[in-house]
Amino acid sequence: MERTFKRALAALDEVFGFLDEALSGCAADAGSAYAVNFAVEEFFTNMVKYEPEGDHLVTISVRREANRLIVRMVDTGVQPFDITNAPAPDLSDSLNDRPVGGLGIHISRELLDSVTYDYGEGQSTITFVKTLET
Amino acid sequence: MFSITVGDDGEIHLSGRFDASRVEQAEAIFSRVTSTCRVDFSDLQYISSAGLGVLLKTQKRLSTTGQSLILVHMNKLVRDVFHIARFDLVFQIDEEQGPHLKMS
Repeated sequence: MERTFKRALAALDEVFGFLDEALSGCAADAGSAYAVNFAVEEFFTNMVKYEPEGDHLVTISVRREANRLIVRMVDTGVQPFDITNAPAPDLSDSLNDRPVGGLGIHISRELLDSVTYDYGEGQSTITFVKTLET
Repeated sequence: MFSITVGDDGEIHLSGRFDASRVEQAEAIFSRVTSTCRVDFSDLQYISSAGLGVLLKTQKRLSTTGQSLILVHMNKLVRDVFHIARFDLVFQIDEEQGPHLKMS
């Protein structure tokens, strides 16, 4: 299943509506559905944050192959931003050292099996895989 | 849907989905907290990194006066995210298991 969204925070509810539909269609378990929602929100809000200008669109597709979910997010008209190169956040027990941002990409990668990033001709493509938990 | 309410005893109750579009609504409540406060997660189905950021920001502010948030009744999926974030090191999390909620 594939759908295109405006690259804006206001589109988030629509994105979640699409994911609910697509994940039920793939018979995804609750844990895998949580992981996909978390990662898509993280990557989508990053796309909005780093390229807030313009009327560009983000296309999201969800498919199932055997027991794996494969999600692809394509962002157009952007500069490269490789999320797989993001630095690891400080996870120490000191509240003072813990930054408020920067956790989301780390958690997403922990929840998923793999995340890959490709860039070409002004287009960023994030592809991630989540093995179904049940 | 997301809702955040404060009970007569000052306990904060979260319900539904706490995502990036709900940060402002949640901050309006959390920014008014000035002393140690329980946060009930039993009806919270989903929290994203944006929601975690609101909690961490509040915890940092409260810690400067020796106060804190105490998080109670998380479902398993939400608790897993807290553990990956290592928030168990910086929050008191009541491990009593809340209801197992399905994503809807």
